[in-house]
Amino acid sequence: MDYFKKTKRQYTLNLLAALIVSNALVLSVWIVLNYWQVKLVYAVIATAVVFIVFSLLFAFSLSNYLIEPVRAVWQLILSIAPHGESVEAPKIEAMKVGREMTLSLSRQIYQMTSSSNKAFNDAKNPPRQLLNDNFVASKLPLPLFILDQTENIVYANTSAADYLGISAKEMTGKNFYMVMDMSFPSENTLDVWLKDVKANSATASMSWERVKLNVLDNHPTRLFDLAAFYNRDNPEHYETMVVLFDHTKQYAQDDQAVSYVALTVHELRTPLTLLRGYIEALQEEIGQDTHPELVDFMQKMNAAAQQLTAFVNNILNVARIDNDQLQLSLHEENWAEIVQSAVNSIALRAKVRGISIETSIAPDIPTVGVDRLSIHEVINNLIDNAIKYSGQSKTIKVEAHMTEDGLVETTVQDFGLGINANIMSNLFTKFYRDHRNRAQVGGTGLGLYLSKAIITAHGGNIWVKSTLGKGSTFGFTIQPYSQLADELKNNDNKGITRGAHGWIKNHSLYRR
Amino acid sequence: MEPNQPGQTFQPDSTKPARKVLCIEDEHFIGELYKRALDNAGYDTTLEVDGVKGLELAQTDQYDIILLDLMVPNLTGIDILRILRDPAKTPHLKAKIVITTNLEQREDVREDIEKQADGYIVKAELTPKEIVQFLNDIK
Repeated sequence: MDYFKKTKRQYTLNLLAALIVSNALVLSVWIVLNYWQVKLVYAVIATAVVFIVFSLLFAFSLSNYLIEPVRAVWQLILSIAPHGESVEAPKIEAMKVGREMTLSLSRQIYQMTSSSNKAFNDAKNPPRQLLNDNFVASKLPLPLFILDQTENIVYANTSAADYLGISAKEMTGKNFYMVMDMSFPSENTLDVWLKDVKANSATASMSWERVKLNVLDNHPTRLFDLAAFYNRDNPEHYETMVVLFDHTKQYAQDDQAVSYVALTVHELRTPLTLLRGYIEALQEEIGQDTHPELVDFMQKMNAAAQQLTAFVNNILNVARIDNDQLQLSLHEENWAEIVQSAVNSIALRAKVRGISIETSIAPDIPTVGVDRLSIHEVINNLIDNAIKYSGQSKTIKVEAHMTEDGLVETTVQDFGLGINANIMSNLFTKFYRDHRNRAQVGGTGLGLYLSKAIITAHGGNIWVKSTLGKGSTFGFTIQPYSQLADELKNNDNKGITRGAHGWIKNHSLYRR
Repeated sequence: MEPNQPGQTFQPDSTKPARKVLCIEDEHFIGELYKRALDNAGYDTTLEVDGVKGLELAQTDQYDIILLDLMVPNLTGIDILRILRDPAKTPHLKAKIVITTNLEQREDVREDIEKQADGYIVKAELTPKEIVQFLNDIK
């Protein structure tokens, strides 16, 4: 509307100028002729002639000038109309009057015709003609696909054809998902996203990492990142653009990294198994009657071996998380039992440091949906931290209760060193450790990073509250089994009862 | 876990014969530790370090429980499990099969284990006595 007002003002000014100039000319001719005392009849005739000549001059030049916007729109419509006359496209940029208005109008017209007039596109611009080999993306070194409204492929460049080993011609017109059988790492897949943006957005872009292309047996698996750009106002045939960034090699290396870590963990676990086995055998042989110092030594050795076992698990899980391979299997579990079992498994480590763990679990906690193995590690890591940072304090409190939001919240509280406020936000970062305590307290900075990843994967939250010199409380929430989204529930129990470090099918009284 | 927890020691029922365990485990010392703990708890344990011989022993169907390590020479534990659970290759066994391993499995192996085994133990996580308790709980 502003463009229209501006144009109107330009018209008014132009007309006003023309009228003033022509009237001034006529008036000055009249005055000059009177001044020369020309006879009245001649003066009238001469003035009339001047008036007519200038009026004609102004009328012709002004009409040419003022009609420009109308002509531009006329040219525009005819130039893109499917059965219109052959007319050159308007040169709007060179216009003097109403340029902005015409530009905005022309954009509207382009959009209207491109999105609503199917006949126009078919007749005037068949997609394959426009996206021929001269199309700028045809030589793009990345596989590129252009999809229409129904997600059929209307264009695939040379790289795309090479990547899939299918010619572009073969792909064209086929449904994208038929050509590309992809597995996405999360539930937000390309088609889910497209469905959403088509309903809610005019333009949107999105990218995915680690998408896997499921290929026929005789082709190697492909792993890539994928980026998609959606624009509703694009001409109908070119609605979505999809670009692939192949990372097959890099992601395969990541997988190898995980297998390498898994093998390392195996090599560490075998001597650990022996160590723990012999410590236990020794404890039995020595018995409780021996010198109390010896009993104490054995307990400390045992606690150290347990700590090392837990750490080895941390390494394996961090490798999994870093390579997106942490797979949780959420089952319906009794929370009190899990917390108690985790506390029991670390009680010896606390005991050898003279620390006692007080556990209090609210009786009204419903069953939860958790991956027992992973959640055991979270509790273990939080208590392990509490032990490490307890300082002179000899108590750790573990509590579980329901929050107002209906979540199960579990807290691990120590009364030791506490954490400086300015480093709290870094605590859950990998390898981060409180520099003040590095000398006194051992650790790798993996435990909290791992715990956060595991809790997040459970759909929960992890938090920390701390006062320097008074101690810290770490807490996390998990969901009751009944609130868990159906797709997360693993109903495939096969009668398996899971423990923290193993499982039994059809157990009798399996309790840890 | 505390090594001396009440209720952990298996009390053999003197009226019944001892449960027979076949332990297929290539790490000799680990095998010995398991045999010591199991025999102390009233089990009758046979040790075998070789995969092929272990399979042959298992197929004699004289055991109540088979502890099966996944990394054994000549025939891997997962192959032994698959053969023992394949009706075409092994008639039905009365034995419960418990996988003992320190190695993380690939997805497909893990699925087979969940389908075909009766128990699963990460060796480093459980002491021999805890494994005895674990076996006590297997019906």
